[in-house]
Amino acid sequence: MTRAATRRRIAAPRLRTRTGAQLGVRRIRWLLVIYLIAMIAVVGKLVEIQVVNADEYADIGVRQRARTVDLPATRGRIYDREGDVLATSVQAATIYGDPRRFRAGETPDGTPLPPAADADETAAALAPLLGLEVEVLADRLERDAHFVYLARQLDHEVGAAVAELGLPGIGVLTEPRRVYPAGGLAAQVVGFTGIDGDGLQGLESRYDPILSGSSGMLVFERAPGGLDIASGVRELVPPEVGTDLVLTIDREIQHAAERAADQVMADYGAIGASVVVLEVGTGDVLAMASTPGYDPNDRGDEDPANRRNRAVTDIFEPGSTQKALTVAAALEEGLVSAGTVLEVPDAIQVGGSRFSDAYDHPTERWDVTEIMERSSNVGTIQIAQQLGPERLDRYLRDFGYGRPTGGAFPGEVGGMLMPHEQWWGTSLPTISIGQGVAVTLLQLADAYHTLANDGVSVDPRVVRGTVGDDGRLRPASVSDGRQVVSAQTAATVRDMLEVAVVGEHATGPRAQIEGWRVGGKTGTARKPAADARGYSEEYMATFVGMAPIDDPRVVVAVMVDEPRPFFGGIVAAPVFAEVAEAAMIALKVPPSNAGQDLRTAMEAARLRAADAELAAQAASQEGDAVDPEEPTSPPVGDPTGSTG
Amino acid sequence: MATGDYEDRRLRMQRESVQSRWMDIYDPVRHLDPILVLTALALTGIGLVAIYSAKLTGVAAEAQAMGFVSRQLAALVIGIIGMVIMAVVDYRWLRVYAPIFYGISIVLLGLTLSPLGASGGGAQRWIELGPLQLQPSELAKLAMLVGIAALLHESKGRPHLGYVLIALGTTLVPTALVFLQPDFGTSIVFIWMTAVLFLIAGVKVRYLVALVISGIAGVVVALQQGLLREYQVSRLTAFLDAGDASAAQTAAFQTRQSMIAVGSGQFAGKGLFEGTQTRLSYVPENHTDFIFTVIAEELGFIGGSVVLGLFLVLVWRGLRIAILAKDLFGQLAAAGVVAVLALQVFVNVGMTLGIMPVTGLPLPFVSYGGTSLIVWFAMIGLLLNIHMRRFERPASAVPIARRTSIGAG
Repeated sequence: MTRAATRRRIAAPRLRTRTGAQLGVRRIRWLLVIYLIAMIAVVGKLVEIQVVNADEYADIGVRQRARTVDLPATRGRIYDREGDVLATSVQAATIYGDPRRFRAGETPDGTPLPPAADADETAAALAPLLGLEVEVLADRLERDAHFVYLARQLDHEVGAAVAELGLPGIGVLTEPRRVYPAGGLAAQVVGFTGIDGDGLQGLESRYDPILSGSSGMLVFERAPGGLDIASGVRELVPPEVGTDLVLTIDREIQHAAERAADQVMADYGAIGASVVVLEVGTGDVLAMASTPGYDPNDRGDEDPANRRNRAVTDIFEPGSTQKALTVAAALEEGLVSAGTVLEVPDAIQVGGSRFSDAYDHPTERWDVTEIMERSSNVGTIQIAQQLGPERLDRYLRDFGYGRPTGGAFPGEVGGMLMPHEQWWGTSLPTISIGQGVAVTLLQLADAYHTLANDGVSVDPRVVRGTVGDDGRLRPASVSDGRQVVSAQTAATVRDMLEVAVVGEHATGPRAQIEGWRVGGKTGTARKPAADARGYSEEYMATFVGMAPIDDPRVVVAVMVDEPRPFFGGIVAAPVFAEVAEAAMIALKVPPSNAGQDLRTAMEAARLRAADAELAAQAASQEGDAVDPEEPTSPPVGDPTGSTG
Repeated sequence: MATGDYEDRRLRMQRESVQSRWMDIYDPVRHLDPILVLTALALTGIGLVAIYSAKLTGVAAEAQAMGFVSRQLAALVIGIIGMVIMAVVDYRWLRVYAPIFYGISIVLLGLTLSPLGASGGGAQRWIELGPLQLQPSELAKLAMLVGIAALLHESKGRPHLGYVLIALGTTLVPTALVFLQPDFGTSIVFIWMTAVLFLIAGVKVRYLVALVISGIAGVVVALQQGLLREYQVSRLTAFLDAGDASAAQTAAFQTRQSMIAVGSGQFAGKGLFEGTQTRLSYVPENHTDFIFTVIAEELGFIGGSVVLGLFLVLVWRGLRIAILAKDLFGQLAAAGVVAVLALQVFVNVGMTLGIMPVTGLPLPFVSYGGTSLIVWFAMIGLLLNIHMRRFERPASAVPIARRTSIGAG
């Protein structure tokens, strides 16, 4: 190099003038500066992308490459208390199309692709298999989308047949379909799922998180055209199977309850009916039926209103069934005993309103039992007057009024009971006979359950437990009992309830069943007008009772909406009898008559169950005159306090 | 003794005379610029690996990738031969033949627009020669460079308006032909190259300013008269994030994918042949225009800076040669090569980083493309030529020749 340097120094003068060469060199140096600035800009940007914000870009890259496939978890089943399946999932075939394949397109690198198939021909081939119109299918295949469902959750065989056709652009997915093997049985309680398996109603909705499990995930790498890279599995998260739910529902009792509710609705032209059966001691809901119902397997055109679980979503005035609670409170407070005799006139004036009994009678001396037996409004109001608003209010709330039961039923409401501070003159008499207060059928059953359970209140429950992976039943908790009235008081009221069924002047004789002693109370209440204050011309007939009355095993509550005739004793009591008898058989309860052996009694009961329909028809023909039923006049007084 | 001495001396002088004549021919070879050659070879080597990686995708990936690499290797061999030829022949001969080269390149450019031209990617850029494809616009770069440098050389450093206008016409003919292909990027290269040559040749700054203004006016007219195809406009504006048309989205998609690939390379890269964006063909044309993304993704910031650093070395060596050149032609030719190189590197790498529009200019030495590679090595040859012959006459030849003549007398 030194030689080269020497030579440079001694080099001959250039062709150009010195100034020209110097100008050129100077301008070359300018260019060098420009190049350096450009290089700094490029390197600066490179640092920004690759060093400063590199993570951000890398994230975007990972996200756009990752193709996540959901691996759906198998949804848990729903069983009744005996382990019969109420809801389960089966593998079904879903047919989809890729509309891009029916259009001319191009590959990511620009090569044109002809359409893989003709939409109309494909639609024509599929239509008979899927049971859809050709035009509808062709329309879907021509949509501007990458993926269209053609038909979802068909039978497995249909999927196999479609796959066999091997049509380009048409695919078959395996998808779980929710089925309800018991059909409409307990449909409003169980609820249903949407097409994507999300619980939408009932327990399917309430327990969705545990039923659905957690879906797994498979992450692929994906090229821009959407092609999966076979070797590129990045991550696999296996799905967790959903937990099974075991209900307290007893299939047989539920079935009997639904049959009886359907029957009473048909016989008396009612717009609806509900039956709740609680097991005494546990608060287990053995049956919870509402009619009209629906078929969860085919919800097509059903009125969505039929999906609601009327026993917990609908409130009504309990009417005379309330009287047992009023009397229980007075007994517990020691104000009266079963034999305490009151002078009961035909009518009574309270808070500026006149309250009368259902039928005219001279002033009588009735004891408390007889007041219950005859369902005397006046006698009950007299007892309530001794009790006073504050104590009546407290007892009713202790019996579960004014708040939802602890069972956490989907859509459950808490009824209406105004705080006693806000009561007015007529509130005490009306509330004591079950008006101006509203409850759900479950609340009413729950209150009677407290009486059946020796005064101990237990939250009703419909879920007995869950069954996880290990197949073991994890029982759901039973709420701690809460003493509302003493066992003595409860027993006394139960005696009265039996008299109210079997007594000479009883309002509910049709509640009787052969073989088991029962007790219960009728109720008939006017429905509040839907659009205004005051009452409509329609009635609710109710009956709440328990069997066997000497050692209660079940509480059965019946509510019939707008029957004609509307008396609880006529309409609701036979439903009670039918359901209670079915419950006695299902639970294998020994007959109350000790002399009769179990088998004979059961046999007789079965025969009677078969005649239930005839019996109900006969009852409807016999008419009102036969029954010494309660109100022939509308219930008196209303929440507005207007004078009747 | 004396006679013997004399005889000895005469023989020695004869021997030295023969030696020195050989030396005259051999001498320039001793002044090669090995840094320049090695840097160009290093960039080509990196390019071969990157092309292999970019094409290592789909079915029969390795065979496909090796196909591209072997074609590029063949071009490299031709390119090295071209470099040697360009270096050995005294570059002053190029000056003489410049008009012929220029004429040939114009004819070839015209042929691309004729039915002989082959199209691809929305432009007619190639001529099919049996199995080979020739890209005349690459050849024209060199021919124009030599032609305009020769023209301005005649001005002897004082170019008057006449020279400027003739040189301008010489530039605009191939520029227009390339523009019609359409190859917007190469026509920008041509204009830039001429501008740099004007600057070095001492064209008055006010002429240059006037040229820039009329150039801008020309671009505006081109845009307004719809001379640019829609996809070109959208590609040019995509980097400004201005496009909401779908064509602009395509270009924006390319830029975005390119930036994602570069960014996900991070500092150290994902490792050779491990670039997922590359492997999954997210970045389009990643063996040609977007080759830098492959390097940046797989070799990271380190690899990217090494490549840029190598280009900086080329710029340095090139400008050094321009400064050392013994005549105006050499200075112009060397500075012109560097100008083309710097512009293409800036536009190409800038494009992959989202700071320049998508113009379809290849990265010199690195991008796949035979004609480009051959021409770039020829340009290296030209630089070597200028470097080797930077002295008025071989320095060693002068005293020996004098002594010889003394000896003969």
